[in-house]
Amino acid sequence: MSNLNSLSIHELHKRLVSGEITALDLTKEAIENCKSDSCNCLEATCYEEALKKAKSITEVKEDEILKGIPYLAKDNYSTKGVETTASSNILNGYVPLFDATVISKLNRRGMILIGKTSMDELAMGGTGTTSHKGATLNPYDKERISGGSSSGSAVSIALGMVPFTLGSDTGDSVRKPASYNQVVGFKPTWGRVSRYGLFPFAPSLDCPSYFTRNVLDSAYILSAIAGHDEKDMSSSRRKKDVYEKFVKHHRTLPKVGYFKAVKDSIPSSKVRRAFDDLLKKIEKAGYQVIAYDYPIELLNALYPTYMIISCAEATSNNANLDGIRFGPKPQGDIKTYSEYMLEARTAGFSDLIKRRFVIGSFSLLSENVYEMFSRAQKARRMIVDNLNKFFDKADYFITPASFSKPKKINELSAAWSKTSDFLENIMTLANFGGNPSITLPLGEEDSLPFGVNITGRIFEDGSLFAFASDVEKITGIKDVTVRCR
Amino acid sequence: MIKVTLDVINKCASSLKFRLSEGQDKLILSDFDTVLAQIDYLKSIPGVDQMQEMTFPYKDHQHKMREDKPVKPVKTTDLLKNSNTKIGNQIKLPKVVGNENE
Amino acid sequence: MEFEPVIGIEIHVELKSKTKMFSSAPTSFGQKPNSCAVYYDFAFPGTMPVVNKEAVSYGIKVCKALNMTINHTLYFDRKNYFYPDLPKGYQITQQFDPIGRDGYLLIETKDGEKKVTIEQAHLEEDTAKQLHLNDMSLVDFNRCGTPLIEIVSNPDMHSGEEAMKYVEAIREIVTYLEVSDGKMENGSLRCDINISLREKGSKKLGVKTECKNLNTISNIKAAVDYEIARQRELLMKGEKITQETRRYDETLKKTVIMRKKTDAIDYKYFREPNIIPIDLDDDFINDAIYSMNKLPYQYKKDFKAIGLSNYEIELLLKDRQVVCYFEDCLALGVKNPSVLVSLISGDIMGYLNKNGKTFKDLNVSKENMVYLVNALEEKKINSKQGKIVLEKMLVENRDSKEIISSLGLQMLSDEKAIEKIVDIVIKENKQVVDDYQRGKDHGLGYLVGQVMKMSKGQANPIIAKKLIIEKIGECPKVNTNH
Repeated sequence: MSNLNSLSIHELHKRLVSGEITALDLTKEAIENCKSDSCNCLEATCYEEALKKAKSITEVKEDEILKGIPYLAKDNYSTKGVETTASSNILNGYVPLFDATVISKLNRRGMILIGKTSMDELAMGGTGTTSHKGATLNPYDKERISGGSSSGSAVSIALGMVPFTLGSDTGDSVRKPASYNQVVGFKPTWGRVSRYGLFPFAPSLDCPSYFTRNVLDSAYILSAIAGHDEKDMSSSRRKKDVYEKFVKHHRTLPKVGYFKAVKDSIPSSKVRRAFDDLLKKIEKAGYQVIAYDYPIELLNALYPTYMIISCAEATSNNANLDGIRFGPKPQGDIKTYSEYMLEARTAGFSDLIKRRFVIGSFSLLSENVYEMFSRAQKARRMIVDNLNKFFDKADYFITPASFSKPKKINELSAAWSKTSDFLENIMTLANFGGNPSITLPLGEEDSLPFGVNITGRIFEDGSLFAFASDVEKITGIKDVTVRCR
Repeated sequence: MIKVTLDVINKCASSLKFRLSEGQDKLILSDFDTVLAQIDYLKSIPGVDQMQEMTFPYKDHQHKMREDKPVKPVKTTDLLKNSNTKIGNQIKLPKVVGNENE
Repeated sequence: MEFEPVIGIEIHVELKSKTKMFSSAPTSFGQKPNSCAVYYDFAFPGTMPVVNKEAVSYGIKVCKALNMTINHTLYFDRKNYFYPDLPKGYQITQQFDPIGRDGYLLIETKDGEKKVTIEQAHLEEDTAKQLHLNDMSLVDFNRCGTPLIEIVSNPDMHSGEEAMKYVEAIREIVTYLEVSDGKMENGSLRCDINISLREKGSKKLGVKTECKNLNTISNIKAAVDYEIARQRELLMKGEKITQETRRYDETLKKTVIMRKKTDAIDYKYFREPNIIPIDLDDDFINDAIYSMNKLPYQYKKDFKAIGLSNYEIELLLKDRQVVCYFEDCLALGVKNPSVLVSLISGDIMGYLNKNGKTFKDLNVSKENMVYLVNALEEKKINSKQGKIVLEKMLVENRDSKEIISSLGLQMLSDEKAIEKIVDIVIKENKQVVDDYQRGKDHGLGYLVGQVMKMSKGQANPIIAKKLIIEKIGECPKVNTNH
């Protein structure tokens, strides 16, 4: 039997409107898919509520594109009544009282939440191996990482469990796993989508982001979740667009640029060839392709800048996790409030998280802040200023989204990376600048997928979709699931 | 800059209200070798220290403040629902001793 | 050796906006524990701060009243530390770019006017309230997030009196602006006082102690004076001052140690990444400034100009409600403001206090009050009658005019009627009239008195006096200096 949830949102919508399938069919199937999870994708589930909602949907109208479509959300979105832990023991048992703005917007459009997906603990990681429930496995090779931190969301959509999953992106947490799992991962402009209810990792970089299996679906979703939210002051008041129109009416921009330093140092010949080939085809399709000299010293600054800023912000954002108002009560003989917090936090965080916190905290100490955190913030400005100079010359920045095969889980190291390999961190550019950025499938190496990433100017999410849709046509790779291979 | 030592690392941890497991402080110490080298690298980028710190990805002047209109408070029982240390309508903690503060 | 005390004060003022600084929960006082909080106040993951416009507007008023430079962009920062009353593990404050800088305040001390300069004022959020019992501490988040403005003075003060006057002046300002209750006793105004001594003439500051837990204005003077004496004694003995936090114990009348300042905590400040700096447009700032209430010093100036004594002004300024009432009365045409001051500060306050009421409960309309005051001034009624009328106004909530006429208290102003009495009095006091006409001018007063007596106090003495003079002429000026 074929799996309906492997189809695209817009295809499912057609069938829902015609009455050929029902929301309940889809939901039941999604639940079965979740139950047979083979890659450790899931945290809490909410099957009963999902079935209840699906049963209540008896009709889907033409303009209700998302109605009746099942989805999964990363476990760092606050979901009312559904346990939310951000895959960390410190939040075990926490059942939020409210929905994140993104969740309530999707739910209001008639989407059906099936459950929550596993992630790197507190979103602080890029491998998908640090969840309190263990590693999320790469569906293409279970010995390898799935990428993270939105690992469960990437893998579950790749497995065809549901046609849409919510993730979040602070460094490349949606766009990297999208590359490894052959799906479309999109990070909107910072401020375009409300962060209210998204557990913060590094607020100045965090962005609600998501996975679909094609560009048009991605545009539909943004139309549903974009817009100002009075609960998030940093959410933009700029008018939002109808993003799918950019795809349908081909409202793209003419100039595509890449960084010479990036293109020249792609280690994998497979990736290099695919990327070269793509650039040629883009040019052939009528775009102007520009080689750009982005300062190499700033590319080498990406990793330390990202790590220092994100770890520092994270120590503070997670200071509310003390086991007092929520989270497990610490064990043992506790005599003071200080011991209470100490025991709760010692038991609640993994070693890796603690290591990152110590370094982040050290960089904020008054004697160090100038040398460390402030300097990273200065480097960030330099990086962004230079990115904006690039965008004076070109409309899109294009790069491979991953440059080598996903690492083997047993070869991982928890240490702070010595080689600040800029290729591995190239997608943090869009977080520093707040730019919209999308990863879509490009090719495979030894049956392991890799993607291409495109970044646009801030608030030009629409034209980014238009170009991405052209790239999708060029590669011919869309609506891929592991099971359809 | 404070010189990084095992003591400094453990103090950082305790100021963040957690203990490090056995041997983790040594691993962090070796992480710091890399971190500090990377900081030196950032410092070496010409002009970096003349930049202004960047917190927000871009400037946006449309941000507005909230009107002073109260909403209905959340029910006390709901607020305390997730707490595992409560008594009646309050959060309960071991007695806070004066000297613990600051 | 002579020592000079050096005193700087940090004052936290709770702003009385309807909602909290960063959440829409209602601000509260004395409500059931944890009944005035929303998700943000409990720091549930994913909640975010949203700045309260009114609190910012209050902040601007305070800054303006303290002659500060107002920052036209609003920035917030995080102060990171762990404590049970701080649910997020950080407080949002304004560490780097406060809303106001470089202000000053003039205070009146017994040595004359003194200028205290103010370093800065910044907006922040209050912490939760803890109740310490024998074996546990309870946390109530109602207060958590209440807007605060912290006003930081420079170390410009040198005595308990100056410190007290400074705090009192700030308290007056924030209550006059109606941005705070300014009640020290329930913590809506809290001060931390830094006190150190240095050798007279020296520029170098000595080791300071910080004094907390001061819940009345007078305790400030007592605590500071005690602390100065304590430090002086130690220094005279050649001992060192240790840097510590002390609190004032009201029963012991002493400052006692709370804790030593050991390793100063590092707050790891950094800019709040959830609040993009807010440009305050000129209209917003100007609206806040134009809508400011009149301040005590402005009232003082105006009241001096109408001839009130310093004592009278002080009586009025104790309560802004009183001042406003008084000023509104003036606008309605009070003939003698001093009469009104004495009525308010005497009989009216006495009545309100006795009945456990405050000035807000006063139900006498200003028109009524002005009628009474002017009736007294014009001697339509005498002061004894005035008391009776006032009491009826207060207790029975009646019109002054109506009371005066219904009680027949209105003095006899009918000239013909008074003339009849005057004629009788002149006839019956021939000797006095003769003496008067020979130069004994006190006779006039006696005659007026007789008219009053005969009319049972109802004759208008001014008219009586006028009529008597008409009839018996002016008293001749007798030159007694030969």
